[in-house]
Amino acid sequence: MGNDDYFHSGMALMRRSRLTVAVLLCLSLALGANAQSSDSAASSEYLIKAGFIYNFAQLVQWPSVVFSQADSPIVIGILGTDPFGTTIDRVVENKKLDGRNLVVKRLKWGKDLKDLKDCNILFVSSSEKEHIPDLFNMVKWLPILTIGETPGFATRGGIINLTLQDNKVRFEVNIEAAKQANLNISSRLLALARIVPQSADGRKSE
Amino acid sequence: MNLQNLSIKRKLMLITMLTSSLALVLSSVSFLIYDLMSFRRQLSQDLMTQAEIIGFNSGAAMAFKDESAATATLSALKAKEDIVAASLYSPEGKVFAHYFRANKSLPPSLPSRSQQNGYRFEDGYLQVFEQVTMNGERVGTLFLLSDMRQWNTRAKRYTGIIIVVVLICGSLALLLSSKLQKLISKPILHLEDTMRMVSSNKNYEIRATRFYGDEIGRLIDGFNTMLSEIQLRDSALQRANNELQTSTHELEVEIVHRKRTQEELLTAKQAAEQASRAKSAFLANMSHELRTPLNAIIGYSEMLEEEVQDLGKISNVRDLQKIQAAGKHLLALINDVLDLSKIEAGKMQLNIEAFGIADMIEEIVMTLKPAIAKNANEFQLRMPQNIGVMRADVTKVRQILLNLLSNACKFTDHGTILLDVNRVPNAGQDWIQFRVGDTGIGITAEQQENLFHEFTQADISIARKYGGTGLGLAISHRFVQLMKGRIMVESAPGQGSVFTVHLPVQAAGEHPENTQSPETVNAGASSEVKPDSDTILVIDDDLAVRDLMSRSLTKLGFRVVAASSGEEGLRLAKQIHPLVITLDVIMPDWDGWTVLNKLKADSDLAEIPVIMVTIVDNEAMGRDLGASSYLIKPVDRERLVTLIEKHRAVRLSTLEKASALPANWPSKGQKNSRKPEAVGPRRH
Repeated sequence: MGNDDYFHSGMALMRRSRLTVAVLLCLSLALGANAQSSDSAASSEYLIKAGFIYNFAQLVQWPSVVFSQADSPIVIGILGTDPFGTTIDRVVENKKLDGRNLVVKRLKWGKDLKDLKDCNILFVSSSEKEHIPDLFNMVKWLPILTIGETPGFATRGGIINLTLQDNKVRFEVNIEAAKQANLNISSRLLALARIVPQSADGRKSE
Repeated sequence: MNLQNLSIKRKLMLITMLTSSLALVLSSVSFLIYDLMSFRRQLSQDLMTQAEIIGFNSGAAMAFKDESAATATLSALKAKEDIVAASLYSPEGKVFAHYFRANKSLPPSLPSRSQQNGYRFEDGYLQVFEQVTMNGERVGTLFLLSDMRQWNTRAKRYTGIIIVVVLICGSLALLLSSKLQKLISKPILHLEDTMRMVSSNKNYEIRATRFYGDEIGRLIDGFNTMLSEIQLRDSALQRANNELQTSTHELEVEIVHRKRTQEELLTAKQAAEQASRAKSAFLANMSHELRTPLNAIIGYSEMLEEEVQDLGKISNVRDLQKIQAAGKHLLALINDVLDLSKIEAGKMQLNIEAFGIADMIEEIVMTLKPAIAKNANEFQLRMPQNIGVMRADVTKVRQILLNLLSNACKFTDHGTILLDVNRVPNAGQDWIQFRVGDTGIGITAEQQENLFHEFTQADISIARKYGGTGLGLAISHRFVQLMKGRIMVESAPGQGSVFTVHLPVQAAGEHPENTQSPETVNAGASSEVKPDSDTILVIDDDLAVRDLMSRSLTKLGFRVVAASSGEEGLRLAKQIHPLVITLDVIMPDWDGWTVLNKLKADSDLAEIPVIMVTIVDNEAMGRDLGASSYLIKPVDRERLVTLIEKHRAVRLSTLEKASALPANWPSKGQKNSRKPEAVGPRRH
């Protein structure tokens, strides 16, 4: 009896939570003009994206030569306009991967290109759309996990591109690009990703 | 069917079956339980491993919040038939992805919240919770629910196997026990058969066969031994029985013999009784036969004496007196012998009646006057005026006193005879005491011892000198005893004797209703018919009696009419209405009893006094039929006269009262000096 009640209440709770999500969704649509609300939705999206970036770091293996020391940190670079704010810092704060800390660096196109090569993960903000081909040319053979959020980012030579599907964050992986970058992506990650090919388009533009 | 009354065979089989089945079932069940428990543990371990794999596989999907990927991972569980449901929870405890077995008709609800790591059994389901991690970091919780299909299947299959095994083993045990139980039951059944045969046929020669040397074998040995013993005893019993039969037969023979003897004895007894009766009858007859001639002898000698006296022939008078005395002595002897034989036979009866003591004494004194005068003795009577009435057999009292007084007269010469009558209370009862004293020869102490015994006089010489039968005192003694009284003697030789008789005033007798004397009854009756006051009717078939009576009564001044038969007497009685009727008993045609009955039945004649004069000694009968007095032949003439005088006096006084006629006293021709003044009209 107690267990049945428990299960029933569980079902009810589940249904209620779904309802809540739907209600929240409607609210956010209705109050689209509200900047505060839009900010909040954006921050929620980037919280997830920050998590994804952390998860990627877990499921990608860099060549051992990348790290000079055993406890050299994994450097996450954010190129262009920072959409995370402090979110990503909070996500990686106090986390360790194989004894390495995670460090976030904010980079500007042109000015910090020298530091670009020191990054292990490079998030390319959508603000840097125009610089993408140049960037790819610059890091093509370097073991840098490039993550973008621009449509066609992966097909043009990026390794991972974050997309939005049904209001959910998904990602695309360009395995060729990863191989070029000498990065070993876990099958578990690949199993979740949409694999995209290197487009001729991208090469042409190159 | 009671379990305890089952046959040994069935019991043995039952025991074997029960024991083996129980052992089998217990061991099987414990094995089954152990196996199922370990299988369950194994199942849960498997499920845990399964959970670990699924958890690992779904780790990335959870990390990237990829629902479809997580669901796809969970759907891989299709291959595992026992898993009916699975779900993944986000670290916050929200359901992230779930899986239900497609063909599960009733999908179980899922716990909404994640639980601790581990497994647990609930409602027949196995639940497993597993932390989902990625690189050591918890990204969610996996929940698996198994219906433990394999376990159930295994439990069912194993149970089935056990049942089959138990059944097979049971039937094997049944088969085996039904064969093996014979080892025990067969000798027992054989023993039982043997016992039944022995008890139904009573044949103790049968023996049970011993099969094995076990306890039953020993039991059979014991049984056989017992049978031998019984056989032995049976034969002994048979022998004893035969002996008993023999002795019984002997006893029967003995009994038959004794019975015959008894019958002979009975016959002898009857013969003896017959003889005794014949003797009694003979004695009675003889006494009658003796009395009849004596009656004539005494009567005629008295008559003759009177006539001879009138003629003055003194010498003849003496002779006649001797004849008379001898006759009277003989009569007394006969009477005494008869009385004694009656007493001996226990046939002496008492005729209890009330009577005036003074009247009786007067009569006795009158009777004894000659005897007193004979030895020139003086007589003194001491008696209170109001001595009154006593109830006793007057005849026997009179006889006792006459006997004592005549003895006193006999043994006293020129002395004094004393009669002292008194009423003495003693022991809560009134007694009448009669003391008869004399101044005679007295009795020695030795003589006193045998004084009251039959046929003993004080001395044989005395019998010669004084005469007498020697029976008087013995008879008196017996009479006193009959009336519950006492008789004693005080005497010394030469000092005289005093005999004392104590009699109860109220004697316990056979006729207590007879409180009045017949004389009184008759005297009280008045008559309208004027009787001939001097006529006496004599009814007797004996001519001698009629003659004697007529002559003696005529002399006394009575008119005598005689009848020779009852019929004639009755007729004459009606004609003449006599003063008194004397009636004989033994007569041809009508006997005296018949005549008495007819007289009393006739209202004209009923009040005429009837004096029975007979040799039949049955005063009770006469009294019952209404006779006034009863005299036994030979008649004491003086007593007869006294009685007639008494009746005449009663009759005259009645007539005086009735008609005031002057009394006609019979003064003419009265010779007898002892008469009317002694017998007056008296009431008791």
